[in-house]
Amino acid sequence: MINKELIGRESEAIAFKIRLEDVRRFAEAIGVRFDDRVPATFVGTLVQANIPGVQLPTPGMIHGEQRITYYRPLNVGDSLTYKKSIKDVYEGRGKFGKNTFLVLETTGYDLAGELVFSSSSVLIQPSKEEGE
Amino acid sequence: MKSLLDYQVSDQLPVREWIPSDLQVRQYAEASGDFNPIHLDDDYARQAGLEGTIVHGMLTMAQMAAMVTDWMGEEGIISKFNVRFEQIVRPGDIITCSGNIKVRSENTLVCNLEAFNNQQKRVMSGLAHVSLRR
Repeated sequence: MINKELIGRESEAIAFKIRLEDVRRFAEAIGVRFDDRVPATFVGTLVQANIPGVQLPTPGMIHGEQRITYYRPLNVGDSLTYKKSIKDVYEGRGKFGKNTFLVLETTGYDLAGELVFSSSSVLIQPSKEEGE
Repeated sequence: MKSLLDYQVSDQLPVREWIPSDLQVRQYAEASGDFNPIHLDDDYARQAGLEGTIVHGMLTMAQMAAMVTDWMGEEGIISKFNVRFEQIVRPGDIITCSGNIKVRSENTLVCNLEAFNNQQKRVMSGLAHVSLRR
């Protein structure tokens, strides 16, 4: 159940390294020439972190928005940690009636603990109730 | 050759046309770890009311990033990249990504971004901040 009580819940921190073969495979999948640069949406592959008690996305959830900010560029070979947290849950009305919005943020840090990137997903849970 | 510094407000970025396939969606699932069956299992997607599998939003976003990256070359880096997914994208759709310069400062270009399908419906909109490398 998605409700405001989830706000503030977060995953454990997960260590990861940006490996050449993972970036190459990602570049091939999205259809770009691999040139040692890390594609801007590569952080979307960080899906291992689990927030206890929350399984996201829930069935029927729609990906509404994505906002990625880099505080410094990512490079192949970087060792980082990341975690996921639920930043907000709110109700809104859309063309399908009342929806629940959930903002899921992934934040990445370098080994010194400095923030390197944040990537926020707005996930929309349509309600079964009909719109007015 | 035109440099990023030569771009002025309202100048257009070179467009990127993209036609996602079932194979690419499968490859993206494997590369990203997003195996949500709405992208991979046609029966599941139909039961979920989607009339068939849909392309990962993040894969469409990656095409927009590719357009920006091809344009900026080695001169820039993407420091901010925000999008809103407005319509479902399906394998076989013809998607055209485009953009223009919204604002520029000495070291940053802010680009408006849009992607349309072949029914002329906008599937995604957003913006990117491109910072000039020093």
